[in-house]
Amino acid sequence: MEKKKDIRIDELEPRRPFTVPEGYFENLTQDIMAALPEQESLYSTRIIVTPWMRIRTYLYAAAAFAGIFFCIKAAVGITSSNNMTEISEAQETTIYSDEYIDSFLETAMIDDWTLYYTLVDAF
Amino acid sequence: MAYDEKRILEMLHEDDISRRRAFEAIVRNFSEQLYWQIRHMVLSHDDANDILQNTFIKAWVNLDSFMGYSRLSTWLYRIAINETLTFLNKQKNTVSIDSADDDELSVAQRLESDPYFDGDLTERQLQEAIATLPDKQRMVFNMKYFNEMKYEEISELLNTSVGALKASFHIAVKKIEEYFNNID
Repeated sequence: MEKKKDIRIDELEPRRPFTVPEGYFENLTQDIMAALPEQESLYSTRIIVTPWMRIRTYLYAAAAFAGIFFCIKAAVGITSSNNMTEISEAQETTIYSDEYIDSFLETAMIDDWTLYYTLVDAF
Repeated sequence: MAYDEKRILEMLHEDDISRRRAFEAIVRNFSEQLYWQIRHMVLSHDDANDILQNTFIKAWVNLDSFMGYSRLSTWLYRIAINETLTFLNKQKNTVSIDSADDDELSVAQRLESDPYFDGDLTERQLQEAIATLPDKQRMVFNMKYFNEMKYEEISELLNTSVGALKASFHIAVKKIEEYFNNID
């Protein structure tokens, strides 16, 4: 059995206890380069980018934006015309304010009896 | 050709022959340091050699993805680190299946019979102690202790803060010393 040995790391001399086969590093670059895929096969997997491929993405994006724009425009147009109807109806009911009617009655030279008679007669 | 990183990066974007020559210069410049980095983690020469080959094949095939945002050495180290960690994970899974046979050798025993290990008993035990550390802690310890790298360099490679690395190294040293003190 190997004997116990208490040590401290900072007391040890950091040494690389590994070796390599003779001539390993001398031939390493050559060995690695020989193991690489051939340039042709590497390039054959690359996609050749044509001018059409370059611009088509932008064209598709532009078409999509145009479509979205017209859809939004159409939707906003329908909504706004509905709003206009509602607003005009609201205007019809609120076109004469109470203040205006009071002012009108005061200046119309109509006394209460005439007004009462007119309203009763109207119904 | 002499190693001129700026020129090499230019050549990588030129024709096929220039590209290959540039890569050859990269291999010549970085292969040995990457080998030792890997070897300290996997211990066996054959495994280190295989991982190194895979590292450069991966770098070559993915050369177009190197955009120059980091240094070339950082990029290569990161590929080597990933390849090494992947190998170690696979090895752990294999060992855990094989260990059912109860014939697993300790790191020190394996190193004793390794023709490419020339360390003494203490150095074998040191390797055994280092092997008990978690993979990333072991990597930090090896980079600092054997390769004498600066914390700032390790920080860039492992994407970890200098403070965390210092703490990791300190814990690793304590664990290794404790391991030695507990050897019967």
